[in-house]
Amino acid sequence: MADGDLYLEELRELVAEVLEVEPEELTDTGDFQAEYEADSLRAIEMLARIEKKYKIAIPQKELANMQNLKAVYEVTASYANWPKG
Amino acid sequence: MDLDFAQLRRLLPHGPGMVLLDRVEELEPETGLTAFKTISGGEPCYALLDGSAGIDAFAYPASLLLESFGQAAAVLWLCSTPAAERVLMFAGAKECEFTGHAYPGDTVRHVVRLEHRSEGAAFVSGHTLVGERRIASYGSLTAVVRPRSALPEPAAVASITTG
Repeated sequence: MADGDLYLEELRELVAEVLEVEPEELTDTGDFQAEYEADSLRAIEMLARIEKKYKIAIPQKELANMQNLKAVYEVTASYANWPKG
Repeated sequence: MDLDFAQLRRLLPHGPGMVLLDRVEELEPETGLTAFKTISGGEPCYALLDGSAGIDAFAYPASLLLESFGQAAAVLWLCSTPAAERVLMFAGAKECEFTGHAYPGDTVRHVVRLEHRSEGAAFVSGHTLVGERRIASYGSLTAVVRPRSALPEPAAVASITTG
């Protein structure tokens, strides 16, 4: 599995835990608010867990760009210097 | 670093009677602290209990135990962050478990661990003991940080009387 795919699956596990769904229920493009009833508190928790896991800092303003798993990967990748998805 | 009650009163934004901590010990700003509060039968939360109430009625409310722990977490954050520009607000708690009670005469000891802090939020975990008996565990408390300038001025609050 390519590095990008591994990171995506790690993020899927992490985000699924925050949203309290099974990882296999979390699609790449499903909107967190519309499809998984996420609120701002879950968004903040998700951001904090990503920062802690990958030892990076992501400004809160990026939350507006992190509305689904694919978008979360793109933003995280840019701050963690991962390969683009 | 240790903090006495006078220092806690100056540090916390809470008004008179709302500071639910007595002292802090072993404060390490990016790690955690230990905080103490002794519970008294004269506290406002017991004011409406009548003379026939048994000791069970004097179990310290879980909501106030959580508030006391939250204030200890706030002390941890405030000691490493200039408070003048920003306000820390309690946003949520999860995986909290209350397994025992504290009563007047008990001293509760909060053990607070800083799990993560970022630009706009802080996350702590910990537990509360009476002696060596754990009475509460907190999986995760979340606080968010907002610029003081972005918040409305607090409205005047009418005094609350009982009885």
